[in-house]
Amino acid sequence: MARAIKVLNLTYRYPDGTIGLNDVGFEVKEGETMVIIGANGTGKSTLFMNLMGILEGDGYIEILGSKLNNMNLKNIRREMGMIFQNPDDQLFCTTVMDDVSFGPINLGWGKNEVIAASQKALAMVGLEDYETRTSHHLSFGEKKRAAIATVLSMNPKILLLDEPTSGLDPRSASKFINILYTLKSQGKTLLIVTHDIFLAQEIADRVLVFSEDKHPVAVGNYKDILNNYDLLLKNNLIHEHRHRHADVVHEHEHQHGHSHKH
Amino acid sequence: MKCTDSLLERLDPRSKIISFLAIIFCMISTPITRLKDFGLYFLVILTMAFVSRIKPAQLFKRGVVLIPFVLFIAMFVPFLKEGHVLWSVKIYAWTFSVTYEGVWTFLNIVVKSSLSILLIVIASSTTTFSDFLKGLDLLRIPQLLIMLMSFMYRYIFVLLDEAKRLMRARSLRYFGHRYKEQFRVIGYMIGVLFIRTFERAERVYSAMIIRGFSGKTISVNYLKLSRLDFLFMAGTFISLICIVSGLIYKIEHSKISDTHLWHGL
Ligand SMILES: Nc1ncnc2c1ncn2[C@@H]1O[C@H](COP(=O)(O)OP(=O)(O)O)[C@@H](O)[C@H]1O
Ligand SMILES: [Mg+2]
Repeated sequence: MARAIKVLNLTYRYPDGTIGLNDVGFEVKEGETMVIIGANGTGKSTLFMNLMGILEGDGYIEILGSKLNNMNLKNIRREMGMIFQNPDDQLFCTTVMDDVSFGPINLGWGKNEVIAASQKALAMVGLEDYETRTSHHLSFGEKKRAAIATVLSMNPKILLLDEPTSGLDPRSASKFINILYTLKSQGKTLLIVTHDIFLAQEIADRVLVFSEDKHPVAVGNYKDILNNYDLLLKNNLIHEHRHRHADVVHEHEHQHGHSHKH
Repeated sequence: MKCTDSLLERLDPRSKIISFLAIIFCMISTPITRLKDFGLYFLVILTMAFVSRIKPAQLFKRGVVLIPFVLFIAMFVPFLKEGHVLWSVKIYAWTFSVTYEGVWTFLNIVVKSSLSILLIVIASSTTTFSDFLKGLDLLRIPQLLIMLMSFMYRYIFVLLDEAKRLMRARSLRYFGHRYKEQFRVIGYMIGVLFIRTFERAERVYSAMIIRGFSGKTISVNYLKLSRLDFLFMAGTFISLICIVSGLIYKIEHSKISDTHLWHGL
């Protein structure tokens, strides 16, 4: 299968000197779902900003076979969309329809095409009747879904999602995961950032683990990575399992199917 | 958004903007001494409220929220304006005198702004803000201005929320001591709010350029001027011309002696 994303020796330092990314390298195949897990502040959002060309670090980034540079930035942004962690950052227009059609219009599509694409995107996320609704009156779950529609309307091949399920209640989260499933079945390449192990378990083909020194420490099949308790514990992705039995508090590794004496 | 299909709601925002601006323009250029004209303007406004199915009570209730501000500003005018003294009162060493010119200026401000406020109430209850902005855009108002208004409308509540959270965090830990210290804290909070807003602006801007923003916002244009719009604008303009030219008085006058109808005109 062709390669969707390739990153080599990518390092980024914020203007104030904070290291955002430290020698990052990985590859994602087309049609693959790669979940990047890492604790808070391990550079996951910084990585996305670099992939989108918003921040410019040192290193090599290749998207769909072409090296990311200022010349082809626009073309790459047609093929790759990003969904921000906070939907309030993504929905900046006064109505949902304006937001969803913003991308297609800027791509220079015709009016009918724009409307068709926007309506299709809204239908995909289950917000058909929300066209004239005001973004800031939506619930958080609806905002999250509207935010993904603003990118889907541009019909990108690759989607970057920054903590898509954080802040969602269980039902909204599972609605959102269903949308991700649909996208996956359509053959889109998904790159999802999260520290939600359950989300990774549900959808990942492969998992990449970021350590607290902003460097990827492990990559592999989701089963191998998610069953490696030492790795997850060391990288602050699970906590030692604590629970109470009457007055006794037990602390042990987070293991499913593991039993211990009480 | 209400979904009744009153006449004004079906109109294109452009025709409303143009008509309402024309009415406001005529009103402010009419000298206040022609009080009867303002009665007529009031009638025009009431008619508009009627066709947009806003009940007079509703109209005034919403208008009343804004009118006190106007009154507060205008309240001092009768005392400050110099001219023929109408009435004066002496308090200790000061004499406050109300002048004839002052009263007229007061009326000028109050009448014109109240009528304008009523118009704004009608406009805002029949037009959504995004339609209003689209109308402005199609009327070639500078895009920068429209974007500013759009962002203000979109983010003012987000910003207020953020401020509220900061205030709450402070009040949870403030127990009424060290009064002077609080000014420093409030200054600090304003600083934090500014930085957060700035960072949010950066993120929003990234979200815009990722989706191909290049300095110009364009949105799908659903708006179309219909015959109804032209009828509405024509109606408004004819009424305005009648009021401004004093035609109505002349017709009224010539009814009394209808043999002189042509002389009257
Ligand atoms: N605008 C910024 N200026 C300076 N440092 C930043 C900025 N944004 C993030 N950082 C730092 O960069 C590191 C990575 O942050 P981020 O990519 O947001 O982490 P994550 O998304 O994994 O939680 C953190 O140490 C954070 O403090
Ligand atoms: Mg982040």
